[in-house]
Amino acid sequence: MSSTQLLRRFPSVLMAWRNLGRNRVRTALATLGILIGVVAIASLGMATAALQQQATADLQGLSNEVTVSAGPDNSHEGITPDQVDDIETVAGDATVVPEKTNFTTLSARNGAETRVRVTALTKADAMYNVTRGQVSNRFRSGALLTDSEATRLGVDIGDPVSYNDKLYRIQGILSSSQGFGGARRELVVPMSAMAEQDHYDSVTVLTTAEQPVNSLTTDIEAWFNDRDEQIVNVRNFAAVQQNVDSFLGTLQLGLLGIGSISLVVASVAILNVMLMSTVERRGEIGVLRAVGISRGEVLRMILTEAAFLGVIGGTLGVVVSAAIGIVIFEILIGSPLAAFRWHSARYLLYGMGFAVFASVLSGLYPAWKAANERPVEALRE
Amino acid sequence: MSVIELVDVVKQYESGEELITALDDVTFQATHGEMVTIIGPSGSGKSTLLNMIGLLDTPTEGAVRLNGRDVTDCSPDELTEERRSEIGFVFQDYHLLPMLTATENVALPTMWEPQLNKHDRAVDLLTRVGLSDRLSHQPTQLSGGQRQRVAIARALINEPDVLLADEPTGNLDQETGATILDELTRLKETEDIAIVAVTHDEQLVEYADRVVELVDGTIKT
Repeated sequence: MSSTQLLRRFPSVLMAWRNLGRNRVRTALATLGILIGVVAIASLGMATAALQQQATADLQGLSNEVTVSAGPDNSHEGITPDQVDDIETVAGDATVVPEKTNFTTLSARNGAETRVRVTALTKADAMYNVTRGQVSNRFRSGALLTDSEATRLGVDIGDPVSYNDKLYRIQGILSSSQGFGGARRELVVPMSAMAEQDHYDSVTVLTTAEQPVNSLTTDIEAWFNDRDEQIVNVRNFAAVQQNVDSFLGTLQLGLLGIGSISLVVASVAILNVMLMSTVERRGEIGVLRAVGISRGEVLRMILTEAAFLGVIGGTLGVVVSAAIGIVIFEILIGSPLAAFRWHSARYLLYGMGFAVFASVLSGLYPAWKAANERPVEALRE
Repeated sequence: MSVIELVDVVKQYESGEELITALDDVTFQATHGEMVTIIGPSGSGKSTLLNMIGLLDTPTEGAVRLNGRDVTDCSPDELTEERRSEIGFVFQDYHLLPMLTATENVALPTMWEPQLNKHDRAVDLLTRVGLSDRLSHQPTQLSGGQRQRVAIARALINEPDVLLADEPTGNLDQETGATILDELTRLKETEDIAIVAVTHDEQLVEYADRVVELVDGTIKT
């Protein structure tokens, strides 16, 4: 479509475009202001989205767990096998994993020593994911060891470790940083390793997707405890996740606030640019009005100019923000393309929307002022 | 019948504490096919009178009639509409928009109304004022005389009844000024329009059918 045809169809658009082309440096600087504002909003928004995603992934292993341990009024030292049966009754379809725990010092042939937490359990496959090796679903022999401890002791899959004077062959290696709460040093052995202990130290209930963690917690508490007696302690991490979510929400609001301030600054720059350019073109706008261009048409032309600044600056800002988002997601999540999921990509849209909105808003006053000037006054220049 | 008629028009401005009477009881009319020149010293109210005739300003007292219709009490938007359909303007400084081509400048007054957009008429008008080879040129690529001819073409795009010219030859040399005045005289006859020009230029007075002299806001008879 030739510019003449375009002029005939969208006069405001073409007039605005040509006007912006008259002072390229000024247009470029105003656009840069908007670009920076959009980048501030979009990249800060995407950064918090990445943090949120990372935190959710970290908490995911814990969010479906309910942990039961002996309460202050428990007459035994831990949870008895009978009580485990009761928990299984309450839990229904959920996987119930009783555990015994202890601490020990592992020593290697080369003289290296390390103190680890020892967990004895049967359903190891439900609780642990190995990075190397395997974990059998009926855990009757062998052991699992965390990565850092295996390195320290100079042992690997197939090597024996000694606990309580018995040897266990390492079946699998666990990641040291797995889970929430930093590094862990752990040896996992079959239940038979602690056969002399007749109670369990804790019972972990892994809920199914349909079972709300909080209601299961309440059910188990109601089964064992009453107002005066606390037989068991029941904990879950749903509250932790909620707290983390709410913290990230606050962080996000704060960061978006900072981003918005830069966009407000940018829109003040647009206000200034539009005001200057309309004052400079005062006589010209007077001519437009004199030859019969209405106030509404002048208003539309100048608002289109402001909107153009917003659209150009916004588009460039979105491109730059997308690049920054890819880098952030690569660093935090390790998956750069996750930046384009709606959860984070929506900040690109918000940035663009804010840019156009702020620009048009800033254009309103200069446009109104120019449109309402009496042509006689404007032409007197 | 008069195209444009001012009856007992008074225009007063407030300038600080002072009340300035720019036009004092002025009666004026112009008819089709007539070129009227308004002369007078600086500050005599020539520009104010032209603004009244061009519906750019409203009188303090008196009446303005366009083609017999009283437009004295029209709203600013109604006056804009009247200017768009009935009046053409030519300015001393041409006042062409620098980012538009000659053709686009000529079509400018009708641009926002697609059904009125007279691109072909703009080309035709530019051809008639001898600029058929300058259609896509921008104002900066044109000489003063050529720019004023573009401005004249623009003033005629809406097929006006009145063409108002404020010092149309003010920025042009004698020879170029004469060609512009020839052009206006020709258009006055072919388009059957009323031309009202304000000037200091003796040359322009020679082309006029009638000369009105303003002194201190009143017409000297």
